[in-house]
Order: sequence, then structure tokens, then C-alpha cells
Amino acid sequence: MYKAPSRRKNRSRPAFTKPNLIPILDAVFIFIFFLLMSASFVKIYEIPSDVPILSSSPPSKKKPLALTLSISNSGVNVLTGVPSKSVKFISKNNEGEYDNEALHRYLIDLKKRYKSERGVIIEPQVDLVYDKLVKIMDAARILRQTDEAIYGRSKEGIQERISVLFDQMIFSNISSIVRTQAK
Amino acid sequence: MRNRSIRNRGKRKKKEVMDIDITSLLDILVILLVFLLKSYNSSGQVITVPKGVDLPISESQSISSSGTIVQVSPSSIWVDDKEVLIHKGASISKYSDRGNRIIPLLTVLRQKKAEIEKISKQAPKAKEFTGKLNLLVDKSIKYSFLQRIMHTSASAGFSQFKFVVLGTDN
Repeated sequence: MYKAPSRRKNRSRPAFTKPNLIPILDAVFIFIFFLLMSASFVKIYEIPSDVPILSSSPPSKKKPLALTLSISNSGVNVLTGVPSKSVKFISKNNEGEYDNEALHRYLIDLKKRYKSERGVIIEPQVDLVYDKLVKIMDAARILRQTDEAIYGRSKEGIQERISVLFDQMIFSNISSIVRTQAK
Repeated sequence: MRNRSIRNRGKRKKKEVMDIDITSLLDILVILLVFLLKSYNSSGQVITVPKGVDLPISESQSISSSGTIVQVSPSSIWVDDKEVLIHKGASISKYSDRGNRIIPLLTVLRQKKAEIEKISKQAPKAKEFTGKLNLLVDKSIKYSFLQRIMHTSASAGFSQFKFVVLGTDN
């Protein structure tokens, strides 16, 4: 049927409206930020320690340091040499805690003299808590960035900064010795 | 402006391309990526800290490596997330070698060692037994008990202990 142009229905489509996502994204952003702030990203590290090995290989001609930390109720006794001889006793501080800073400083001095030595024997004589043991191990193992720099020579003869103190730890009295043959 | 000429009447308008502003979305993704990368652990080792195990904080920076996991709380011992002993109030029959060896732990660790060795023999690309043992020990545990665990583990053939600790930046 003919319709006059003026009567033709003008089908106008609804105009496309762009959704305004900005407030929603802002809300999501804040939500994620709070979630990330409340989340605990735990960083896990390890302290390595080996079981004492009885070796049948001949001892080296070089006199070993044989550093031993004997932990008693009153403090930490630092022993060296074979047979072991006490070189320093670090008593507990005024608060009754092990003076790990004093121990750390002494071990830095020792490291300056024995740059290639890395082994330490831990010998707890007292039934101390594991947390305190970890703190003593840290004092003996780690050379912090804020500590005095110690330089040594690598196997290639290049001078380089030493990054660890005595990090090869052995517990002397775990009453188990693994026997091995020398290679 | 609308085209009102007679020629164009009745013609369908072409669809407009949807234009969504994704700038803020990308902002979120970038921040998310930064946080995730910061917390990324490259060791690939999945460690479960059971309830009741409060790990000590250490300055160590050595990243934990793979190995059999022994978790020790003040009341129980687990090996690879499987409880092997409730040691609180455990009878003397659970110990041997003058109380130095924990029998259930020794049995499970020997089984673990045998399993790893069997797999490494069957599959040439499988990891060989290295004797590594990750120890997740609660910070309140006394050395005498830790000594028993180390003694038992060494008796089972595990010769490298890795004391798992929390970093100082946690």
C-alpha cells in the first residue's frame, strides 16, 4: 500500500551507548589492591647441613681450621684446631640471650685469616630451642652486605669479594656417622 | 549529521564498531603481574607448612631445593604431608637405639628411599636419590628432639639436611 512520504514510519534504531566501564574497573582495581596487600607471599629459604662423613682419604697437609661452635648454657665457645682448643668464649648478653652479634664479629675476624675455610661444626651441649639455633647458624653462615668486605682469590686467581662466612655446617653430635670410601 | 536525502532513505546504517577503553584494565593487569613476579618462586618446589608448624625466621638467601619433606610440629611428624607419628605422649615402643631413633619415621623414610631408587632404575631420566631431606621444623622444638630426627633420617640414608626457614622480608 502506498504511503505518503510524510507518513512513512521512520524506524530509528536506538543509538549505541558505550558502557562506562571506568567506575567498575576502578572498583576492581581497589579490590585487587586490598587482596594483594592482605595476601602473605611467604618466601622460603633453606639452611643446608650435611651428616658427618667418616672418610678414609688421607688428611690434607694443610693444617685445618676445624672451627667448632660449642653452645653451652652460658654462651658459645669457639674452638679451633685438632685437637680442638678454645680460642674465644662469647657469653650471653645482659638480657640472657646468646650474643650473636659478638659471635658474628669474631667469625668475620677469623674469616679474614682463613679465607678459604668454609666449614663449621655445631656442637650444642644444651637442649636449646630450634629458633635460637637458627639465629646462631645465621651468625656463623652469612656475611651481610653491611659487614666489612673481605676479598679473596678464586680458583682462577681472580680477586673477588667473599659472600659467605662459614656456611658448610655439620652437627657433630647427631650420633650417626655415615661411612664412605675415598674416591 | 543524519543524511536526509531521498537516495539514502531506507538504507540500513552500518553497525558501529564497539570501542571499549581498556587502559584501566591494563593498569590492573600490570600491577598484578608485578606482584606475582615479585612473589614468584623459581625453585619449583611446593612446600606445605602444616597447621602447628611455625617456621623460624632466618637471614638465609639459599633457595629451597627439591627433596623428601619432613614436617615436625610440637605434636606430630609428617613425611611428604602424610602423618607418620603423633609424638606427643608416644609410647617408648615407638623409639629404638636408646630412644634416639623414631621407628615410624625410620620405616617411612626407608620406604621413600627405596621408592626413589626403584623409580630411578626403571626410568633413566628420573631423578636419582640424592639423600636430600627438607626439614620443616617448628621453632619451639628442642634440639634433643631435632637430634633424634636427624639421627633417624641419617640412619635411613638421608645425608643432606635442608632446614627450611622463612626469609626476613616476610
